[in-house]
Amino acid sequence: MPILTTRIVRLLSTVWLLGAVASFPLPGEAANIVALKGADVDVYDEALDGFKSVASRAQISEYDMEGDLQRGKRFLARLKSGPKPDLILAIGIWALQVVVEEIRDIPVVFAMVLNPSTVIGQEARNITGASMNVPIEQQIALLKKASPQARRIGVIYDPSKTGFLIKQAERIASDQGVRLLPKAIASPKDSFAALDAMQGEIDALWILPDVTVLAPESVQYMLLFSFRNRIPLLGLSENQARMGALFGLSFGSGRDIGIQAGEIANEILSGRRADEIPFTTARRLRLTVNLKTAGKLGLQVPKEILDRADVVIR
Amino acid sequence: MKVRLRAVLNLSLILLLAGSVRPADAADLKDAIRNLYGGQGILLEPLPLPFPSQESRFQASSLQGLDQLNSQLTSAIGVPAFNSSVTGFTFDIERGVPVRTTESLGTLLTERATTLGARKLDLTFTYTRVNFTKLQGKDLKDLELVFLRGDANGNGIRDTSGPFSFESDVIRARLSVDLTEDIFALIATYGLTAEWDVGFVVPVTHIRLIAKAHAAIFDQFGNPGGTKVGDIPIHRFGPNSSRPDASGGGDETGLGDIVLRTKYNFLRHYDDLVPDMAFLVELKLPTGDEERLLGTGGTNVTGLLVASRTYARWFTPHVNLGYEIDTKDTRQNAVRYALGFDARLLPELTLAAGIIGRAKPDGSGTGDHIVDLSLGVKWNPIKSLILRTNVQIPLDKNSGLRADFIPTVGIEYIF
Repeated sequence: MPILTTRIVRLLSTVWLLGAVASFPLPGEAANIVALKGADVDVYDEALDGFKSVASRAQISEYDMEGDLQRGKRFLARLKSGPKPDLILAIGIWALQVVVEEIRDIPVVFAMVLNPSTVIGQEARNITGASMNVPIEQQIALLKKASPQARRIGVIYDPSKTGFLIKQAERIASDQGVRLLPKAIASPKDSFAALDAMQGEIDALWILPDVTVLAPESVQYMLLFSFRNRIPLLGLSENQARMGALFGLSFGSGRDIGIQAGEIANEILSGRRADEIPFTTARRLRLTVNLKTAGKLGLQVPKEILDRADVVIR
Repeated sequence: MKVRLRAVLNLSLILLLAGSVRPADAADLKDAIRNLYGGQGILLEPLPLPFPSQESRFQASSLQGLDQLNSQLTSAIGVPAFNSSVTGFTFDIERGVPVRTTESLGTLLTERATTLGARKLDLTFTYTRVNFTKLQGKDLKDLELVFLRGDANGNGIRDTSGPFSFESDVIRARLSVDLTEDIFALIATYGLTAEWDVGFVVPVTHIRLIAKAHAAIFDQFGNPGGTKVGDIPIHRFGPNSSRPDASGGGDETGLGDIVLRTKYNFLRHYDDLVPDMAFLVELKLPTGDEERLLGTGGTNVTGLLVASRTYARWFTPHVNLGYEIDTKDTRQNAVRYALGFDARLLPELTLAAGIIGRAKPDGSGTGDHIVDLSLGVKWNPIKSLILRTNVQIPLDKNSGLRADFIPTVGIEYIF
């Protein structure tokens, strides 16, 4: 009996090993990757180029959903009925959405997705990737560097959209010796009262990548709040800096995010499981500094920040 | 990429074919009206001796009149405006989502500030039919030219009484002009970057100009035949004169004036109030044979400021304002403007309407300010294929050489 048990265990181990070997490309064999693009957007193409530059040995087939979720689902249904690829690259939030719904047994790497945890559930163990989120540490550090006396950073957020970010940010802010003053809102119109309640209570204001917060009227009120109270506002883009935010900090480029995704894909194709690899945030960033705003706020932007800025609005 | 390469190769082939079309008749269509009476104006029958010869008395004025009409007609023939669609997505960095820019499929003859998108290629093939019907408000099928004769007695005036009252005789020439253009245009636009497009328009034109004239002599009171001495008319047509009935013209087909274009969208999504803005530069090259009426013979440079803004993701008003410099004839320099909108009525159907104007500050008097209404639709039945149709309706038919309406149909594909 023990001999039989041992043989069964050995047999099962062999089958598992063969299965494991068969499921990954052999050395010298090109991995078969399907790249699913949510839409035909320049920045997605850049991400795909970046991915290809890293996963250069892979055989990559591209498919464009053209912004149509149903089209993406139909494509994945066809994909599931045929030979399975070694990995799926989901570029953009729409591609990730359909992949999360449809794919359970193929490793998935996403790229160019903001707040991916809002799309990917806890149970999805086959998905990881490179988000386009800017590391919170760097955002808070930037505000501190620009305004060293800043101790309280105000932020408005919709708990259903970015509650998870606030939890992370509170911890990181505390580590950096500043206090986060978050105000929850449920709709854009709540932002006026939330901001008014922060008057005199905060030293800097931070715009989160939160759809509720990014309603034009909310952003405009945050800009107004920044000028009225002469406190710096950290925005999410060059566009917001041009509108009057002191800083705009965003991911560096689609290509950079694609490279990060490619590196993750290479790890998975080398045998690591997707759930062992955490999502990444943007490694390279693009900083815009609005010196006109700095002048109005009475702030002297340190040379160190200006030196690293990609765009300076004078 | 292979598809784009194939498209470019096909494009080259079309250009090659367009360039190889040769005229059936080498005669200058441009001078068809000027040469109606043989290029020397109207010559009359010599009078029998002892009367002094009157055969060339109308030559100068007829030449001048025909030449003027010829210039009015030929200088007003131009290349209609063209543009490409705006379709696809842009990326909203703050929200991390693509934003559909196909709130509408774009305008038809005017311009929006938004560009095509990086590495996108738009190929459009259009057919436009222009059947000119009016010149300065007059029916092209029923034009009248009046030729005056020269002073006979040297007193500096045309006598209306006395022995030299025949100086007031006139030749009335009734002309019927059939002038049509069929323009097949290949329009290519390529997005170098997300904000910068380059492109060209290659028109292949078939033009038909047939002019028929009938000249008759009248005296100052409108009596046919003109002034007579006894039974002998002083001015008359005969076997040795120009024939009173003349016709000329023909057809020509060939490459028209190629237009090179570039558009830079320097302001996009700035804020809720400021519109998207772009600058467009067009260079029209004299590739069409001017003598065959296939081109204007000059190089034109146009700078156009374009502003547009999309509201509620479906309605986009736009304004174009610019100046066109004609390096060959500065009198043709023109202020160009357009005001209009395009509206996405259904996901796959866009309506476009606009007023298109062109004003020549130092114009020659013919078509110095023309204003058209443009109405059209674009239909996107599948994927990146767009079918387009448009009609251009002159709002003022009393200015310049005009058609009752100018229909255009086209097919467009974005790679």
